[in-house]
Amino acid sequence: MKKWYNVVAILMATVIVLGIFAIGCAKTAPPQPGGPITINIGEPVALSGSAAPWGQIPTPFREAWFEVFNREGFQVGGKTYNIKLIQVDDQNTPEGGAAAAKQLVFGDKVRFIAGHWTWNFSAVAAVTNPAKVIFVTRTGAPDQLPASWGGLYDPKTMPYVVFGTPSQEEFTADCFALIKAYPNYKRLGLMDSVQSGVDSAGWRALKKELDAAGIRYHNEWFAVGTSDFTPYITRFAEAGCNLVFVAGWVGEFMLFSKQRWEMGYKDMKVGCSGPFVDINIYKAVCGPDAAQGLIGAYYDNSQFKETKVNPKYIAQCQEALRIAAEKTGKPYTYTGEIAWLPSHVLILVQAMQKAGTVDDTDAIMKAIRGGTFDTTIGKWTMSGEKTYGSAVVFGSPAPLCTIQGDKEVYLSEYPTKPLP
Amino acid sequence: MPPAEIWIDGLVQSCIYMTMAFGMVLVFSILGILNWAHGQFYMLGAFVVYYAITAAGIPFPISLLISGVVVGGLGMLVEKFVIERLTSPGYGMLYVTVATLALMFFFEGAAGMAFGLMDKGLSTVLPGVLDLGSFSVSYQKIAVIIFTLVIMISMYIVLNRTKVGLAIRAAAQEPVAASLYGISVGRVSLIVMGIGCALAAMAGGIMAPVYTTNPFMGRIPMIMSLLAIIIGGLGSLTGAIVGGIILGFLNSVIAYHLSYVSEFVLFLLVIIILLVRPQGLFGAPLK
Repeated sequence: MKKWYNVVAILMATVIVLGIFAIGCAKTAPPQPGGPITINIGEPVALSGSAAPWGQIPTPFREAWFEVFNREGFQVGGKTYNIKLIQVDDQNTPEGGAAAAKQLVFGDKVRFIAGHWTWNFSAVAAVTNPAKVIFVTRTGAPDQLPASWGGLYDPKTMPYVVFGTPSQEEFTADCFALIKAYPNYKRLGLMDSVQSGVDSAGWRALKKELDAAGIRYHNEWFAVGTSDFTPYITRFAEAGCNLVFVAGWVGEFMLFSKQRWEMGYKDMKVGCSGPFVDINIYKAVCGPDAAQGLIGAYYDNSQFKETKVNPKYIAQCQEALRIAAEKTGKPYTYTGEIAWLPSHVLILVQAMQKAGTVDDTDAIMKAIRGGTFDTTIGKWTMSGEKTYGSAVVFGSPAPLCTIQGDKEVYLSEYPTKPLP
Repeated sequence: MPPAEIWIDGLVQSCIYMTMAFGMVLVFSILGILNWAHGQFYMLGAFVVYYAITAAGIPFPISLLISGVVVGGLGMLVEKFVIERLTSPGYGMLYVTVATLALMFFFEGAAGMAFGLMDKGLSTVLPGVLDLGSFSVSYQKIAVIIFTLVIMISMYIVLNRTKVGLAIRAAAQEPVAASLYGISVGRVSLIVMGIGCALAAMAGGIMAPVYTTNPFMGRIPMIMSLLAIIIGGLGSLTGAIVGGIILGFLNSVIAYHLSYVSEFVLFLLVIIILLVRPQGLFGAPLK
């Protein structure tokens, strides 16, 4: 009896071990011959919490763009690849970012993270760098500034970070684009929440450039949660500002725009450092008259006048916008995503092609540093060797639009210069 | 000297803080609790007004009344099924505090799921401005001032000229004696909670066209109304009104002079008041 018991136990153990081995093999088994190989790209993104709208709004365009991109896919080493995006909610918090990064890196086994914009850079980078996962994010938040500026980015300890969207540099370029559009301005008003750091290194860098260019400006910060901007509007008006650029969230921008109109400062032009979500929201909050002339970022690459974009990528984005409109059942006008995840993905894809590998992240990073990439917002060379300690900062057209009627209309552009 | 628009802005801020604080103090004086979810009733009132107008086409004044009734009713349910149980023997204030804090996050989360997180606007309600020469004031803000006057007058009449008001005042002063005289303190608690939440809801509703409506809009008004009752005196209805007025003007004038530092200054002022006169301007001296 005992002998039979032992035999059955050994057989069961063997079956279990073989089963586990089979599951492990199945996960890494290559796809059927003839079909593209899928590469997973992860994205920690705010899908819950107060920042969730900004994580959710781009979804229709994002899905549509990957659908269009994967029709052709891309080739490396004679093989065709597709991309699958895996999003994990990071709640726009450091804890959420770390958890999302761990899930993506250790659970989903991604080798690349892209499209990141939330305020948890250092938490995500702390996970991705030791794992040699390439992390494409943006500049701009205090911890994303270079260590030499007092930020936390250090190329020595974060060798796998790429700044695919130069938010900090773009904000500066946006200011110049504004002045270009309104050369008869009296004084430029600049406003941000204290959350971004009053007189932080980023702001000091911006002011240095504005001073060098002889631009007259006045700076204000508001407390987090402010809904009443009357005191700040009055201060801007008394400082002689007839052009104000707001770096806060959309709600704050809308309230500032509404209140300045109601206070009688109808000639005060107001812009925000981000694309318009949906013009109807601004009209609902500000009022249809107060919403006219509002200024925002504008990434409809078919409208750029100074930055040349590959016609293939223009067509891709227009097709994705069309699909997104079809799926949502209404016009899809949010252009912000064109400059973000698709642009990051194209940097990664072209770097893989240059490096001749989709796995060796060291070789891919080597191809990225200082390389030139053709993306949805133009062809740019990675720069920033002196400023950031590594040539990993991308460029931007810094395009702006203004609301006219029910549409966003191109206003101006001020392509960012390569960083030293 | 700040310009006129700052003083008018201060007056509008005062109106809202006064209304919110009044509702909080009313609840405190009968139930003996600070309702940490008070700001969320403000938020829910704003959403009721928003959807009453945009989805059902109900005129603004009626939408305001509906928000008071609906959210006041919700407040009564909260009192009946949560607060009443946690204030019974065997529990303590800590339980009620935790419960109302939990409700705060619950209502925010529920509103986020039900209504979405994107800001909503009601700019089409009372559009336009009154031009006063060197500055203008929106009709929406004028409506806030008128609304507050109506509310304060109504509350004065209810509390001083009606049997319900008499019962409320009696229960607030001497609950045991009041119950001996046949006043159902339990029922008064229910009514007061309903009134307090209705006031918060209508405050949120009247502000919905002025600001944006979103699930997190109740947090700052809650904190500010708490500051108002500390300034005015916890437990004093007069203190709530005076505290709200002082806070509203201070907030606007200090922000004009000191920008974002105004928040720091306001809280410092509250700490000083707590140290120097902890009962506030009109509260009963501490034993």
